[in-house]
Amino acid sequence: MSTGTKNLVHILDGVDFLKMDRRTFMKAVGLLGATVMLDSYKAEIVSALEFAETKLVWLHGSECTGCSESLLNGGNPDIVQALNKLNVNLAYHETLLAQQGIFVDGKLANTSELNSEILLEELIKEGNYILIVEGSIPNGPQGSGKYLMIGKKTFKEIIAEAAPNANAIIAVGSCAAYGGITSADSDIAKDTDYRGVAFAKENPKGGILQELGIDKPVINIPGCPAHPDWILLTLGAVILGKIKVPEDLPVLLDNYGRPKVFYPPDHTVHENCPRRGYYDRGEFDEQVGGEKCLWKLGCKAPYAHADCAIRKWNGSVSFCTQAGGPCIACVEPGFPDTSRPLYVEAEDKGVLLGANIDTVSKVAIGAAAVVAGVHAVRRIKGE
Amino acid sequence: MVNVTVNPLTRIEGHLSVDTDVDANGVITDSRSSCLIFRGFERILQKQDPRDAALLTQRICGVCPISHGLASTNALDDLYGVADQVPKDALVMRNIFQGLNTIASHATHIYVLWGPDLANPAYRNVLATLGDTGNAVWKEMVGRFAPISYKIDGQSVPVGSSYIAAIPEKKRLQEAIALIAGRMPGSVSPYPGGYTYKANVGDIVKLSSYYLQVMDFVSKYTLQVPFDAWIANTYKASSPQKAVSFVVEHLKGLVDKSLTSNDFSREAGWGDAEFYAAFGSELVGETLLGLPASLKHDKIGGYSDPSKIAFLAYGGFYNTENGDGYDPTSPEGDRFQTSGIVTGKLEYQKFDSSKITESVAHSFYDDSKGDLHPTVGETIPFTDPAKIDYTGGSDSKYTWDKAPRYEGIPCEVGPLSRMLAMKEPLVTGLALAFNEKGYSAANVYTRMMARIQETVIIANELLKWVTVDYDPNGKISVPIDLSAAKNSQGMGLWEAPRGALGHWISAGSDGKVANYQAIVPSSWNMSPRDAAGVPGPLEQSLIGSKINAVGNILGVDYSNPVSIFHIGRSYDPCISCAVHTIDLTGKNAPNTLRIV
Repeated sequence: MSTGTKNLVHILDGVDFLKMDRRTFMKAVGLLGATVMLDSYKAEIVSALEFAETKLVWLHGSECTGCSESLLNGGNPDIVQALNKLNVNLAYHETLLAQQGIFVDGKLANTSELNSEILLEELIKEGNYILIVEGSIPNGPQGSGKYLMIGKKTFKEIIAEAAPNANAIIAVGSCAAYGGITSADSDIAKDTDYRGVAFAKENPKGGILQELGIDKPVINIPGCPAHPDWILLTLGAVILGKIKVPEDLPVLLDNYGRPKVFYPPDHTVHENCPRRGYYDRGEFDEQVGGEKCLWKLGCKAPYAHADCAIRKWNGSVSFCTQAGGPCIACVEPGFPDTSRPLYVEAEDKGVLLGANIDTVSKVAIGAAAVVAGVHAVRRIKGE
Repeated sequence: MVNVTVNPLTRIEGHLSVDTDVDANGVITDSRSSCLIFRGFERILQKQDPRDAALLTQRICGVCPISHGLASTNALDDLYGVADQVPKDALVMRNIFQGLNTIASHATHIYVLWGPDLANPAYRNVLATLGDTGNAVWKEMVGRFAPISYKIDGQSVPVGSSYIAAIPEKKRLQEAIALIAGRMPGSVSPYPGGYTYKANVGDIVKLSSYYLQVMDFVSKYTLQVPFDAWIANTYKASSPQKAVSFVVEHLKGLVDKSLTSNDFSREAGWGDAEFYAAFGSELVGETLLGLPASLKHDKIGGYSDPSKIAFLAYGGFYNTENGDGYDPTSPEGDRFQTSGIVTGKLEYQKFDSSKITESVAHSFYDDSKGDLHPTVGETIPFTDPAKIDYTGGSDSKYTWDKAPRYEGIPCEVGPLSRMLAMKEPLVTGLALAFNEKGYSAANVYTRMMARIQETVIIANELLKWVTVDYDPNGKISVPIDLSAAKNSQGMGLWEAPRGALGHWISAGSDGKVANYQAIVPSSWNMSPRDAAGVPGPLEQSLIGSKINAVGNILGVDYSNPVSIFHIGRSYDPCISCAVHTIDLTGKNAPNTLRIV
């Protein structure tokens, strides 16, 4: 975080986030960009205000349930607080709901109290919900979407039904945002043809919505998994009306559809890494289990735009580099391809890691500076 | 004949369809288990740095990423030839890491995924016929286990007390993992030759504190016998009979106290484990304890032909008493939970990994060579959408999961298999008792009791790993020689919370991944039929079960097939794991896949 931004946070310390008029809020967020704006006010977000019920329809595509698992790890607000205080009705969530799809002789049976397929149909018909997608969507094979079926529909068809009636769409996790690990380079990628909701890797027009001809704004919350704060605070801000969809999105989101407040364009994990002092002194671990800078073990923190180093994970007890694992930049749109090989330092593969130079010039500059910094360190050490 | 399909079976990981044929008496006569997704996962590891596998395979499953990370790390230890040198304290850290995840995963399954089925209104209707006692039992079930956003007859049902209390505990366990692994899910610490983080004294104190907090939850909600007494009289009992007797006597005391007052509350001593132990089983509840009714979960989800089923465990958690290193190819005797095959007649045999084969006869793949050992198999997936058809019935292809077999026999894997393989007294005693009385030894009840018992046993071991076995001044890793991977192979056998998990890796002359394979627990449990037409474990266990609550006592209702929910979830399915795909030999590349 730059010194200027730190001062701004300090100045805003006494400001009541909830009482701020929207224009001031927008201005503050725009100015802060790389800060922990929402984080500073998360207690207020869950303060006892009365809200109209907000319905959430949470769909699982091709995923590992890691983002839902992560969501359950949330704190301040945790999932229960968020649901209660923000008056959220988690109307559909395959891992948590009571119902399941029940077919008798091929026909939907019972009612929405027991049958998840009927429940989902009713919810979509009623509309007026926030759609959250976890997991990617296979377009394959041959555009059929049949590599993922739920109930008797392809997941692609389910998205086609659910997306148009949503008030807002949030793509949670790198799979839903960009295709994630299911769309990694391999010789079967063309068959599976996995897509994010709005993006295919770095391509902002490659998502399944574009394929389906649906024009809806999408907020991406990437990460493998996504941090529960990123999910719940974004959701909170949308429900509170602090983020108006779609009008505020151009200011609040970066070029990859991520809220800048959590994925600051001008700030990387590296800057606040607890091992940063070792980096600055040119002291590097070359074997796991040490305490020095992980650059030589392939750390991608200088390329990762996220607030992990400040926010940390799981009740703020730790995060990847703190526990001796190199950052794998799982929040970036090209993950995992742009991070592989995970344990090899990235400078020899070029600073851009396959990203689009026009859209990430700031990243490039930052990354180039980092690499230059390493060389400088080596020069100093006479290596 | 009526076709009853549950699709999706929710509250599991991933997307599963359970398709059954049911007769006029509400008895399941045939069944098919279909994994509905094709992920194309391990192909991305090919031609890459082998070390990436330990992190990327964790993305197969967000619920048990650590098991994949460690199965992979075991395979990498073997690949780089360092398994015999991995420092003892790294092995202890790996045990702690896996132990915490297994407990968190079991707690999630018991309370968040499986428990809500006990709040199904079908039980209210059955129990209402028993008057005050039945109503009191229903009140406990819905009051403890109802999930969030739940309605019965248009009325919102408050979320269950145990359900809601379990979420913070699960979170706490994840925090404890993060403390030594950076974050959870998607941790960073498994690495060949050791572990990335050396926990310090402060971490040990914190881990102990997490442990004690979780124990508070256990004693308040789960188990109301003092923890040490339970361990001493079950896990450490001198015989299976003594372990079962202890539990039955304990439950008898509760029943005697509660039956007249119809008070089955926690205050009256009924922890969730006691409640389920007594009311879940006909044999235990009705026959041995004299309860007026039970859920009869011991009569669903069993196997009718012991020659067509076995219980498989690879063995989990290193024995660290011998110091550094372990034998990656021979888990027997090298693990705290041993490996083994227990036959359908409950006879123990040694495990031999060369006896595993896989079939794609009923999976959406072409098959040119028949059943092969996974290291030489081939898989050619359907890319013609018209051929991906789940509706053809038992003689067709109907799933993306393959059919792993051990000497041609389908195997159940998971807590029950592990407890049987390690001859755990309570679970072994229960299995023997059911067997003797004409029930299937494996059923929904024994599966759940094994999961509960394993949670307790690992919690007990965890404290020892943290406070006794781990030395914060010890060594945490040995360097690996990257060139050692050239033309090398590695096998990692491990136990995920859901059961036996194997990763196999080989590297080419460039030291990069040539092939990677994982055979996961849900591939075994959710297996379709094989080439001989033998159904997989879930399929077998559905056949013969009555579909409605408590043995269809209120008649047959095809539209609320509670037994299918219980049986399906009793295996704790993880479909994302089951349907990742890999290429086995490289010979089939680029257009052939392997699904495991």
